[in-house]
Amino acid sequence: MGVDDRRKFLAYCLGGIAAVAAAGIIYPLFRYLSPLSSQLESSKVTIPEGAVREGEANFFQYAGSAAVLVHHPGGALVALSAVCTHMGCIVQWQKDRQEFFCPCHGGRYTSDGAVISGPPPRPLPKLPFAVANGIITVG
Amino acid sequence: MSIMRRIFRWLDVRIGAGEIIEKELTGYLLPPNINIWYSMGSILLFLFALQVVTGMLLLVYYVPDADKAFTSVTAIMNRVPFGWLIRLCHVIGSNMMVLILFFHMLSVLFMGSYKKPRELNWLSGFILFLLVMSLTLTGYLLPWSQLSFWATTVTTNSVGVIPFVGQYLVEFLRGGVLVGPPTLGRFFALHVAVLPAAVALMVGVHLFLLKRVGISAPPFGCAETKNTWQGESYRYEAHPGGIPFFPDYLLQDLTSIAVCMACFFALLFFDPSIFFPKDAFIPADQFRTPEHIKPEWYFLANYQTLKLFPSEIIGLAVQGVAILFLALLPFIDRGAERHPLKRPLFLLLSIGGIMVWIGLSIWGHYS
Ligand code: HEM
Ligand code: FES
Repeated sequence: MGVDDRRKFLAYCLGGIAAVAAAGIIYPLFRYLSPLSSQLESSKVTIPEGAVREGEANFFQYAGSAAVLVHHPGGALVALSAVCTHMGCIVQWQKDRQEFFCPCHGGRYTSDGAVISGPPPRPLPKLPFAVANGIITVG
Repeated sequence: MSIMRRIFRWLDVRIGAGEIIEKELTGYLLPPNINIWYSMGSILLFLFALQVVTGMLLLVYYVPDADKAFTSVTAIMNRVPFGWLIRLCHVIGSNMMVLILFFHMLSVLFMGSYKKPRELNWLSGFILFLLVMSLTLTGYLLPWSQLSFWATTVTTNSVGVIPFVGQYLVEFLRGGVLVGPPTLGRFFALHVAVLPAAVALMVGVHLFLLKRVGISAPPFGCAETKNTWQGESYRYEAHPGGIPFFPDYLLQDLTSIAVCMACFFALLFFDPSIFFPKDAFIPADQFRTPEHIKPEWYFLANYQTLKLFPSEIIGLAVQGVAILFLALLPFIDRGAERHPLKRPLFLLLSIGGIMVWIGLSIWGHYS
């Protein structure tokens, strides 16, 4: 083994140790800075049935994001994600027109989440929910 | 390798990178008899950088509000992944920094490096020492535990014995009559903004002075150990024929940092709660003073001194005089001799002083 070989060997050893050390720093750092919400929040939200009147919509936090519960005139309920499918703004409820409106780029959705007009490419995703004993459980 | 060469050449022809390397690294010559004690400064630089980085990371989750501070720190320790690691690094790093600061000061003392023309190096260093102590003091309050709250109550209270202005000064420091939410606000601002900026600035001054004056040669292993500079004109102390900073001394610096970090991680993993007495785990309660309220190890001697003197003002004055004496040492001890064994009075006083400090600390710990 010549001097050059030994140097190369040592350099590889040092490089390996440095790589392990760097991983030992980067992994905890990555985990430390990763968002906590998904690990810490419970995935179900409960709302009393009386809280949403007919023709109105209730916004609430769901799985770290925004969601909305619509009570159609006539009694039908629907739970939707409130995140606009275009660029992620939160949609607004327009009671007089019974529509959702996204102020960012003028996207419009029906009260069921279907796109009426504007840039949104997809309807608002529906969320599963159940009603029991006057309590609505989303999730 | 050739890609590196090309990047280097690209830089070299533009900003003269090679010249800087030649002047500051490979051509920066240090005394041939330089020893390990000259690497303490580099350890301090490393530890300070570590404190800055871990401190910024803690800021991500820490909430500086008296109602939420304790819970946020508990969450960092128990819920945030690796939060315990970041916080323990910050806590152990602060203690390590104080310890190495003592080593740095002692080595400069025993090798007589504070003597002329390095009075300003010493003075800027001493200011750094006071700043670092203030950093530990203000940081101690932030977790808002019983320990934080009452240690801060006692330390801020001691200022109150200063005649005439004392009581006002206490309130000014606390932002109120008692330690409370306003105290947390000002200590937080000091700890994360004012003091770190001041330390960074003073480190700059400290290193600037080091570059202008030149590093001292240790007074060991040579016949002539007296200071030769007479104060006639500016002289950069060069060391022709010495060893290069890069790669020789940088390797020593890295070795010292590695040894220091080995001790650091040994503490962190094998005795993680060494710096947390049980009151550190109880949220602050301003109506209940805990049984034994003790400061951190490096303040134990001050604590015991305050207890020893029947009058608080004398206890505080004694410490003030001791600090002032140390700060002005290069202007008081003006002999040319630098070898410790040829300075019997200095040796006697400094060893005596260290013994008294250790004695007081142990006494303070068990009292
Ligand atoms: C944040 C704290 C400090 C840092 C980062 C720091 C850094 C350094 C560095 C890198 C050096 C050059 C190499 C060496 O001798 O280690 C140095 C030298 C020196 N330091 Fe500090 N220092 C700090 C605090 C202090 C304190 C508290 C004192 C004393 C009161 C002090 C007094 C000196 C003196 C007199 C020198 C010149 C030594 C010589 O030329 O041989 N420093 N410091
Ligand atoms: S983000 Fe909603 S329309 Fe663009």
